[in-house]
Amino acid sequence: MAMRLARAGDRLRRLVTTRTSITLAGVSLLLSLLAMWVCVYVAGADPYHALTAMFRGAFQSRWALTSTLSEWVAITLSGLAVLIPYRAGFFNVGGQGQLEMGGLAAAVVIIYFDAAPALVMAAALAACVLAGAVTVGLPLLLRLGRGASEVTTTIMVNFAALRLMYAMITGPLQDPGAWYGTTPIVPSALRLQSFPAGSGIPVGLFVAVGLAVGAWWLLNSTVFGLHLRAVGGNRPAAAAAGIPAERVLIKAVLLGAALAGLAGGFQYLGHTFRVAEGWSKTWGLVGIPVALLGGSPLGVLLVGFLFAVLETGSRSMQALTGVPAALVFMFQGLPVIIYLALGAGLRRMGKAADSK
Amino acid sequence: MGRVDANWWLDFLLAVLRAATPLIFCALGVLACERAGILNIGVEGSMLAGALAAVLGAVLTGDPWFGVGAAIVTGLMAGLVLAGMTAYLPADQIATGIAFNLVSIGITSFVYRLLLDRGVGLMAPSLNWGPAGGWLEPITARLAVIPPLTWLAVILVVVSQVLLFSTGPGLLWRSVGESARAAHAAGLGVLRVRSAALLGGSVLGALGGAALTLGWVPTFVDNMTMGRGFIGLAAVYFGRWRPDLVLFACLLFGAGEALAFRAQAAGAGLNPYYYLMLPYVLTLAAVAVVGMAMGPRDAGKPFVRG
Repeated sequence: MAMRLARAGDRLRRLVTTRTSITLAGVSLLLSLLAMWVCVYVAGADPYHALTAMFRGAFQSRWALTSTLSEWVAITLSGLAVLIPYRAGFFNVGGQGQLEMGGLAAAVVIIYFDAAPALVMAAALAACVLAGAVTVGLPLLLRLGRGASEVTTTIMVNFAALRLMYAMITGPLQDPGAWYGTTPIVPSALRLQSFPAGSGIPVGLFVAVGLAVGAWWLLNSTVFGLHLRAVGGNRPAAAAAGIPAERVLIKAVLLGAALAGLAGGFQYLGHTFRVAEGWSKTWGLVGIPVALLGGSPLGVLLVGFLFAVLETGSRSMQALTGVPAALVFMFQGLPVIIYLALGAGLRRMGKAADSK
Repeated sequence: MGRVDANWWLDFLLAVLRAATPLIFCALGVLACERAGILNIGVEGSMLAGALAAVLGAVLTGDPWFGVGAAIVTGLMAGLVLAGMTAYLPADQIATGIAFNLVSIGITSFVYRLLLDRGVGLMAPSLNWGPAGGWLEPITARLAVIPPLTWLAVILVVVSQVLLFSTGPGLLWRSVGESARAAHAAGLGVLRVRSAALLGGSVLGALGGAALTLGWVPTFVDNMTMGRGFIGLAAVYFGRWRPDLVLFACLLFGAGEALAFRAQAAGAGLNPYYYLMLPYVLTLAAVAVVGMAMGPRDAGKPFVRG
């Protein structure tokens, strides 16, 4: 009997592995869609009509399609910005701030740097990547030097960065012709074009997909990826095994933050063309649920697509059926809660079966 | 900025208190949890839910005190969810908190929109002292300049200071945050303490929301807390996990917010957003200079029996 229970415990523990976490993420997303169905019903609309309006709305026009794909770029990169440092044991909640600073840095280059268009764009992209990495610098230093939890410090930096961005776009970087806080619009010669030309597919999408595949390879097939997991799993043991734990952590965190900065740059140069009040929505923040549910770079790509569709589609749902688009926020949080609860519950059951 | 005289100062002080009151509640809510070893990121969501509940309770009954009651009930419900997730299961505290905040934005905005569509007006009566009458009148009239929830917040600071540092339960409470394993070995119910902290902390967060709507902005708008719960979090770190210093931090941050409004109204001087950066920059500086030496060591770590 005890033997059987122990074996059941083993089985349950093995259940909570990669494959199960994919299943769990799927179940959580489905249950959340179901909850959304109920909410739509409560709001007095026909759920089937509202949800099809949502999914159709994400693709029905050229503009909607471009907008969905751009959201996908930003959300995917933000998800990677959480996922890669997370593997090394650093919970980067600061994606939003890193993204804001990335956009802002790109805007500074566009506004003040006068050269050949290709050169200006290259400089702007370099600036946004750099700005993202710099923004995580202080939390990283405080974690390494002061043992301060990066969660609190990255949250603080997020809000400081947001206020700094607002101070800039209502101050030195403000578009002289605008009555609200915004930078001047990016001149069309300096914008990131779609590829193939005129297709409406943002060029950033190819980069984001490439980076996700690259991150997959980096995490799963390289020595660095192995080190990363070792450092994230058990840092003293990793250090004892001769892995330069601190250096691995620093690299992972800077890489992640740079990707968040790049997300800001892509959105500014390729989609919004302005850094303005509310320009960045919650892309950086959404990276957190996407990374948790995705669980791997390719998972991030997949979940990121679903979230992007919901983001664009919800607006058309609101227009067509009157169901508030704010439901989307619920859909970003609820699956994570279900996922965490199911995962922790399974682990608990595994443990209980073990100890009998 | 107009003439600076006695009236200006009184107005300014009241504005500081108005801005600081929601922060004090939230900060105490975070503090209660951190001292029990829980990093309560969900305070922002509790606050937002409390803000809407307070408006609803006050509008539907016509009595702002019912709004306070509704906020407390909402806080308890939020606390139950968070305690179940982060104390009992236990799931990751940070991921849970962030997801909880997102859900809270979604639900509150959704409910708010539905009510607007059904023609429910959402202007809440503000919470103030009624006339006391009788021989107490001369005293109460002076005390009543400061609104009820501000009094409550200050009283709660004193109570929690005494409770945490001068009583037996306070010692047990802190020991759970310092080392859950040791506390468990000594026979303490770690999960019970953590759940109590989350229930209390979420109610405090919701009261912070009520203080925002019933004591300041008398209505609700989408995501109206705008990170105020996180300013409460900052105040706890800046105030070195001590209620008295946390109160000081909240007043300082409240002053920053009041100054920002004044700068905005005057339309001159320093860009108001620099004042709004104050809480975060000061807190980061405090962490950089003093480190985490006074923080509860087990904050953020899940506890699993066995």
